[in-house]
Amino acid sequence: MTPLLTVSNLSYCKKDKSWFGKNAGFRLDPLSFELKAGETMAIMGENGSGKSLLAKLLVGVERPNAGEILLNGEPLHHKRQRFQAIRMIFQHTKESLNPALTLGSLLEEPLILNTELDSRARKRKIEETLKLVGMLPEHQFFYRHMLSEGQRQRVAVARALILNPQVLVADEPFAALDPSVRSQTVNLLMKLQRDLGLGFIFISHNLGIVRHISDRILVLEEGKLVESGKTDVIFNWPKSDYTQRLIHAYQALISRDA
Amino acid sequence: MPLLDIKNLTLEIDTPLGWIKALDKINLSIDSSEVRALVGESGSGKSLVVKSIVGALPDRWKVTADRMNWKGRDLLSMSDSQRRAITRSEMSVVLQNPATSLDPSATLQEQIEESISDSQLDRGWFWQRRQQRRLIATQQLHKVGIRDHDVCLASYPHQVAEDISQKFALAMALVSNPKLLIADNPTMGMETTTKIQVLRLLAKLNKTRELSILFVSHDLLAISAMADTMTVLYCGQTVESGKMSQLKRRPLHPYTKALLDSAPSFRRDLPPKAALSSLDGTIPTLQHLPIGCRLGPRCPRAQKECVKMPDVRRIHEHYYACHFPLHRDKT
Ligand SMILES: Nc1ncnc2c1ncn2[C@@H]1O[C@H](COP(=O)(O)OP(=O)(O)OP(=O)(O)O)[C@@H](O)[C@H]1O
Ligand SMILES: Nc1ncnc2c1ncn2[C@@H]1O[C@H](COP(=O)(O)OP(=O)(O)OP(=O)(O)O)[C@@H](O)[C@H]1O
Ligand code: SF4
Ligand SMILES: [Mg+2]
Ligand SMILES: [Mg+2]
Repeated sequence: MTPLLTVSNLSYCKKDKSWFGKNAGFRLDPLSFELKAGETMAIMGENGSGKSLLAKLLVGVERPNAGEILLNGEPLHHKRQRFQAIRMIFQHTKESLNPALTLGSLLEEPLILNTELDSRARKRKIEETLKLVGMLPEHQFFYRHMLSEGQRQRVAVARALILNPQVLVADEPFAALDPSVRSQTVNLLMKLQRDLGLGFIFISHNLGIVRHISDRILVLEEGKLVESGKTDVIFNWPKSDYTQRLIHAYQALISRDA
Repeated sequence: MPLLDIKNLTLEIDTPLGWIKALDKINLSIDSSEVRALVGESGSGKSLVVKSIVGALPDRWKVTADRMNWKGRDLLSMSDSQRRAITRSEMSVVLQNPATSLDPSATLQEQIEESISDSQLDRGWFWQRRQQRRLIATQQLHKVGIRDHDVCLASYPHQVAEDISQKFALAMALVSNPKLLIADNPTMGMETTTKIQVLRLLAKLNKTRELSILFVSHDLLAISAMADTMTVLYCGQTVESGKMSQLKRRPLHPYTKALLDSAPSFRRDLPPKAALSSLDGTIPTLQHLPIGCRLGPRCPRAQKECVKMPDVRRIHEHYYACHFPLHRDKT
């Protein structure tokens, strides 16, 4: 079976344009992996190790210097096809939620651009999706500033799911959520995976969640892939120094609690 | 006497749909060297509580309280400058989006050094004092996990990555040796190793310098390692508060129980990919609150009586607002 997503030798290196420019001099060494339909992959690593950059390369917000991304064995030619098939939830909702629009218009935008739905059908879809992520139809009249951090995060999830993507790339989708809503969202994503075969790649510092839902893990350190493998293998037999430190730190926190 | 003592804090805000009560009779107190966790569903009002305490709300919003005292002095009747004097020296705050609270026009070095008061320095010539300031700032940055202090200090806020400005805001809050630290999700998105370093640092300051902390967080593991007491909010109201150990072992309010049950790290028996437990439904908007107990429509224990708002009840130091609390079926 062809994997859902095939990434080979993807790399990125930004020449210093300005001294202080974003990602000045940051490089991501070539890395490859595959993702099957219905599979969940977690990306872990320190702050600044290049996780968000990798996510942005996958969805096409940043352009790689070399390497290839195949969806169902085919290269992605059309922007539109890519936008619909691979959706991203950004780490900081301020990157994705325009403060001047109501949530309704925010969610309608991708529908207008990418689907043929008429305005009644769009409205129905918007209300459905809001409910799916645990918000209410009346939230469509709210603006970003009227929401708490976690509610913004949920809108970002709604915006990503509204086009029924095949792959969802999520940058810290759970960080701002309280435990109960977090569990709801996790359950929702696992259900979408079972029902629709959604491929799910997520970045997280929450090792409890990583351990619970991911099939495989990639560990990045300073733009290099230092370790990848099955979740239980990595949690039980971490190889690289960095991963060992990480897992130990996590276990220390758990046992302190007990 | 508690350091911070809040009784019946109510906040009314104006929205396009009219005035609404975003906080309704919140009670909260923090003693010297107490670590209190403030938890609750997203949108329950935690950040609004924090902002009410430090006075970071739009002027037209109405804050009222029976009591809102800092060391016995009423915060609400103070002038702005008196309040600022307190938040500068004794009560430090880290807001949820720390990047927005930094001054965009000054370097991080200027900002953190301004927070170091003269009394923290030895006497000496002005260049010696300048060096001392720089040293204190650098050490503080290391403690919160910023390694490259030179680059950090020379930068303006927009030039540093989000995680650096978050760590920086925490460093800046701690550098003035406050009595109370109010931190709204200070470790959100932080790498695990740094998070643990920061939690250790806070625990140490709590032991050695009697730092009190109001710790707003969704991270139950961090909370249960740190906090002595916990206050749980739901929909703008305090639903339960008491000793951490007691709430964790025997929560009385159904919402608290749901919250604790939903963290996978607390449940080691859970098979991978099993559905996590959570309450059905969603927190209502403030515009359309249910009648009676606000958890009512989602509560697994709800009964007819719940259409009446439950009063706050008390067993020793444990407060709860529920008609049918858990673990007390016999009474
Ligand atoms: N706003 C910014 N200004 C300057 N450098 C940045 C900025 N954002 C990211 N960088 C740099 O780009 C590189 C890759 O960052 P990236 O955001 O991918 O890290 P990350 O692994 O997502 O970290 P985090 O866990 O904090 O989200 C890092 O060297 C980082 O310092
Ligand atoms: N400017 C505003 N206008 C209207 N409603 C607002 C405004 N600011 C906040 N709210 C509402 O007040 C409630 C509480 O928000 P708050 O930010 O305090 O939540 P929170 O408990 O901090 O949540 P989180 O855990 O997600 O940070 C939310 O329901 C939000 O919709
Ligand atoms: S008062 Fe009733 S509805 Fe409210 S939490 Fe208690 S049992 Fe549930
Ligand atoms: Mg990132
Ligand atoms: Mg908040």
